[in-house]
Amino acid sequence: MTSRPTATTFRLTEASYADGEVRLGYAFDEGATMVERIRFPGAPAAVPSGREAAFARALALLHGIAGVSYWKALVPERIVVDGEPFDPALAALLDEVWLHGLGEFAHANGLDLRGRIRFPHADQSAPAATALGLQRRALVPIGGGKDSLVSIETLKRAEEPVAVVWIGRSDLIRACAQATGQPLLNIEREIAPELFELNRRGAWNGHIPVTAINSAILVLAALLYGYDEIVFSNEASASAGNLVVGELDINHQWSKGLRFEALFAGYVSEAIAPDLRYYSLLRPFSELAVTERFAALTRYHPLFSSCNRNFRILGERPSSRWCGECPKCRFVFLALAPFMSKPALLAIFGRNLLDEPEQMEGFDALLEFGAVKPFECVGEGRESRAALLALSARADWREDALVRRFVDEVLPRIDAGGLELEPLLRPAGEHRVPERLWASLGLRPEVPPRYSRGEGGASGAG
Amino acid sequence: MRWIVLKFGGTSVSRRHRWENIGALMRARRQEGARVLTVVSALSGVTDALKALIALHGDPAAMTAAAEALIERHLEFARELDVAPEVLNERVAELRRLVGDVRAAAGGHAWQAELQAQGELWSSTLGAHFLASLGLPVQWLDARDFLTSREQPLQTEWARYQSAICEPRPSAAVREELTGRGALFLTQGFIARHPGGDSVILGRGGSDTSASYFGALLGAERVEIWTDVPGMFSANPKQVPDARLLRRLDYDEAQEIATTGAKVLHPRAIGPVREVRVPLWIKDTERPELAGTQIAGEAAGGAPSVKAISMRSGITLVSMESIGMWQQVGFLADVFACFKQHGLSVDLIGSAETNVTVSLDPSDNLLDAGTLDALCRDLARVCRVRVIAPCAAVTLVGRGMRGMMHRLSEILAEIGARRVHLVSQSSNNLNLTFVIDAADADGVVPALHAHLVRAGLTGADGDPVFGPSWREIVAPRAAPPPAWWESQRPALRTLAEAATPVYVYAASVVRERASDLRALRAVDRRWYALKANPHAGVLRALAAQGFGMECVSQGELEHVRAVLPELPAERILFTPNFAARREYAAAFALGARVTIDNLTILQRWGELLAGREILLRLDLGRGLGHHDKVRTGGERSKFGIGLSDLDAALAASAACGAEVVGLHAHLGSGILDVAHWKAVYAELAALAERIPSVRVLDIGGGLGVPHERGETPLAMAELDAALAEVKAMYPRFELWIEPGRYLVAESGVLLARVTQVKHKAGVNFVGVDAGMHTLLRPALYEAFHEIANLSRIDAPAEGRWQVVGPICESGDVLGRDRALPAPQEDEILLVAHAGAYGAAMASRYNLREAVREVWADEL
Repeated sequence: MTSRPTATTFRLTEASYADGEVRLGYAFDEGATMVERIRFPGAPAAVPSGREAAFARALALLHGIAGVSYWKALVPERIVVDGEPFDPALAALLDEVWLHGLGEFAHANGLDLRGRIRFPHADQSAPAATALGLQRRALVPIGGGKDSLVSIETLKRAEEPVAVVWIGRSDLIRACAQATGQPLLNIEREIAPELFELNRRGAWNGHIPVTAINSAILVLAALLYGYDEIVFSNEASASAGNLVVGELDINHQWSKGLRFEALFAGYVSEAIAPDLRYYSLLRPFSELAVTERFAALTRYHPLFSSCNRNFRILGERPSSRWCGECPKCRFVFLALAPFMSKPALLAIFGRNLLDEPEQMEGFDALLEFGAVKPFECVGEGRESRAALLALSARADWREDALVRRFVDEVLPRIDAGGLELEPLLRPAGEHRVPERLWASLGLRPEVPPRYSRGEGGASGAG
Repeated sequence: MRWIVLKFGGTSVSRRHRWENIGALMRARRQEGARVLTVVSALSGVTDALKALIALHGDPAAMTAAAEALIERHLEFARELDVAPEVLNERVAELRRLVGDVRAAAGGHAWQAELQAQGELWSSTLGAHFLASLGLPVQWLDARDFLTSREQPLQTEWARYQSAICEPRPSAAVREELTGRGALFLTQGFIARHPGGDSVILGRGGSDTSASYFGALLGAERVEIWTDVPGMFSANPKQVPDARLLRRLDYDEAQEIATTGAKVLHPRAIGPVREVRVPLWIKDTERPELAGTQIAGEAAGGAPSVKAISMRSGITLVSMESIGMWQQVGFLADVFACFKQHGLSVDLIGSAETNVTVSLDPSDNLLDAGTLDALCRDLARVCRVRVIAPCAAVTLVGRGMRGMMHRLSEILAEIGARRVHLVSQSSNNLNLTFVIDAADADGVVPALHAHLVRAGLTGADGDPVFGPSWREIVAPRAAPPPAWWESQRPALRTLAEAATPVYVYAASVVRERASDLRALRAVDRRWYALKANPHAGVLRALAAQGFGMECVSQGELEHVRAVLPELPAERILFTPNFAARREYAAAFALGARVTIDNLTILQRWGELLAGREILLRLDLGRGLGHHDKVRTGGERSKFGIGLSDLDAALAASAACGAEVVGLHAHLGSGILDVAHWKAVYAELAALAERIPSVRVLDIGGGLGVPHERGETPLAMAELDAALAEVKAMYPRFELWIEPGRYLVAESGVLLARVTQVKHKAGVNFVGVDAGMHTLLRPALYEAFHEIANLSRIDAPAEGRWQVVGPICESGDVLGRDRALPAPQEDEILLVAHAGAYGAAMASRYNLREAVREVWADEL
């Protein structure tokens, strides 16, 4: 194997839009520009008039955020913006998004990135943005998993105008999206092939904050097509860290957390468009509260997948949607189980993960029983514990190998207090959901404190 | 007077040209001299629309709107048929009356049944007028005047009205009455009348059942069910394109097949005709020339055979472990009462001294949250309950199953490689059912069916029971082109004169197969798995076509270097299994690409792998018996790294500084449908996406060999399209394939000389100088190779011959029961499709001489 390539400077060389395509250019040192392309089908050839300034800032936002995939390959010490300098607020946002968004990457590769990420910026703040008169409708990104489907169904019931959007090619996501019966938008994203080449040559690799990148892409989409909301489907638990190393709380899904949401939304409304809202509809909910809702949406059961393996080809068999052996499969299985008939749940997965003794360690990690919560988008330990406790009371489950083990070996050694399901199903904690949707979500006006900047989001739901 | 009953379903009555077809069939039957009564369903979707209408019963406005939409649909169809809309006046009035009925508010069963009965009344009314307009003197009958339901013990109100049962017996009075009225009749399926006068419906499959009832009532010559498939098959043709049409079945077999999976005929439809021995035929509207399936009283004759394999998914087993009460009188009755109380119907039962296990079908009730929990709670009072799910029930159907046990060994081995939770065999000897783990159910039916075909259990051509395969029906296969050797007899005879046995390889055939594979545009690299045939001629021909060489041993590596000294090392792929460390070292030293298929060597041979690029061979778990839980038999595959070890393998690779540049999975051979290739490729790609260093996906070999019996050739264009589809989703990866047999099997023939002829106890043996030492495949895999008498190829066959070799093993048989002209000593027999794993696997067992090989560049 060749030695790892290196560089001292990372350059953001160019960012442009024409004919429905965004081009983002990056380079290391004096090397050739690597171009990432994002295509917006059916978008106007030029930016709609009156939105040019906002679009330029949104493009800079995307250019900066998407650069993380390339920078992390060589982690050079200097970052240079070739074109118009970034405003101070954007630079500050990028410093934070890159550092936290690469938390798992840094941990996995044994890198300390603190102090390494410093975006240069102009001295002057950008002028405040003005309202663009965007249309009253929402872009709802869908990933083929349960969460976005719950959001879409909630919005449909509230008679909100929505379009279902996804990025990249995937038959599986398309099938889920089609089942929603809503207008569809499929944005194409083509990563610069040089990045794969760098990876082949031994560049650093690992998890990047993909939700942040997708969020920035959707801001462009909102300006191009005219949408005044971008509605994600991240739950409370996304804000919880996986482990703390030194002072850094490492969270696999940091860009799905509340801190990112507030930071990003704040920048969008101040610097891009005050009438473009960015929020997560499911923020007040635990994973279990979402699975409870999803359990009733039977039409999606044979279509969806939350599996870590990125299935894109639609297959009929459960094994073409669920590997059955990753933390996501285990968690979704466990979290749906209390709310469904056993045969219906097993029909989704094609197997009974809780009757497979070799999955013990995997479930222990979910239970945070003698193991660290996996680096995955899974619920909190107490949610898994509560779900298993509920199953242990069910006669059709309690003889299954891992349910028995929970009762015999785990339960005596953990604090079983506060493991009832019911409190976990109630909305709680901070969120930024617009008031008009509170009733549809069952939120009581007096409970949710509005999020205000400066409050830490990392502690998550309470 | 002879009667024939015809039945047509929803799709057959929804279009004008289909009604013309119904008219033509009625006319044809009439011309055969029979009187004809035709039973029809409602138009497609109408029964569902009526159910939806019923669901609106609390909302008169919505119900009215739905009813008017239905009326409009039928008026529109009347226009398509050029039937005057007035003929529907009575039906329109009736529907409006029912919607406005005082009973509508409560939505009771009697009202529901009457409403649902409307669909057939509409379609038959339109149809009768249309047929009359074609000049057919068709009489419309109200089926309710002839079919009367019978009260059943403990019948619920729902069942009384919506799942009614009639028990018609042949009635001379009805025959006489109808004979007096005419010769052609049209009536409704699905509906009947309660003795009290209310309309009732027959429930699922009701129109088939109606036809059967009328067949019984009239003592018909036969009932013909016209549908959109050719009949019942030996397996679901969607899963098994080689499934054979079942020409003849007895009632019991048909009932069993219909119950265990076939959807073509509702099992309820068989009972009424069975009682009165009226034959029931299944006919295909699109292919009326096909005989279809004929179900009748007497078996079709012939030896006992497995008629069909079916599978039902979503099966739940409830296993009840004794706590010492088994012997107690009434214990089982209590247990079963629990099932009854929760509305669950038990299907299969297996019992032991301390355990009773039953199976439940996936009913709506079972899928309701809470039902199973409540059942288990009740059962837990008397025993320890365990739910085993999800399962699939695989059933073999055929009369005389117990008499066939000895012929089912391959099938039992196939089943045995899976997790089997329950086996059940009925005392009527009609079926054998295995309940297996759903996770192991993929591909089980096609695999079992292939065993049936190989074991000759589906009969030969012209068999009275087993008709053409689905594949042959939908796309009759052109007769295979004559094999290359048929036109090369003189040259081959000359080669055989020199010495036998000898393998002859035709270069043109190898090149032709190579260009087939080069035509696959989705594939970036092609490797030849030279274990199939390492002959220097083959290697040179394929290297010249751009193929890389895939080796599995140091010997093969050295052989490739010797034969192809110019071949760049990067076109050599080393994919061994349990090879010694020095063999890997040799491959790395050579500069070959290396595939690792064992986690342990990644962990222990760090210094050897440091700084190397490697591929990982994975076991995707499609191989049978992959799972840790398999303890019931079957070997685990010795190939590949289990998926659960993939993370560990990546960590071990990283730890020793090896870079994983590719993932490889081999399906094994003989799994041949395009969808399967696509699925494996997609699965590999989904896995590889998470591994940044991976740039290559190698999907192995295993392509079916064209024109070989028992093998289905892959449609190459279709395969290419399927692969391209996956590639478009995952453009990051190069796609590699590494076929062996596909490239060379057809190219080779084995020529052998007749040594002796023997007749023993009526069996003809012909001995040749080739045997299992020359060609092991028939003995090892029961592989079929065509055998011809090269000396007298056009002479007529004289009897059936066992073609055997000279080795002192009873398994030394090259071909069984072959029709050949009576062989003479010194004549030359040709064994076809012998180019792969022939000479490569030959031995000098019994100290027989090594077989010769000839690479024929001119052939």
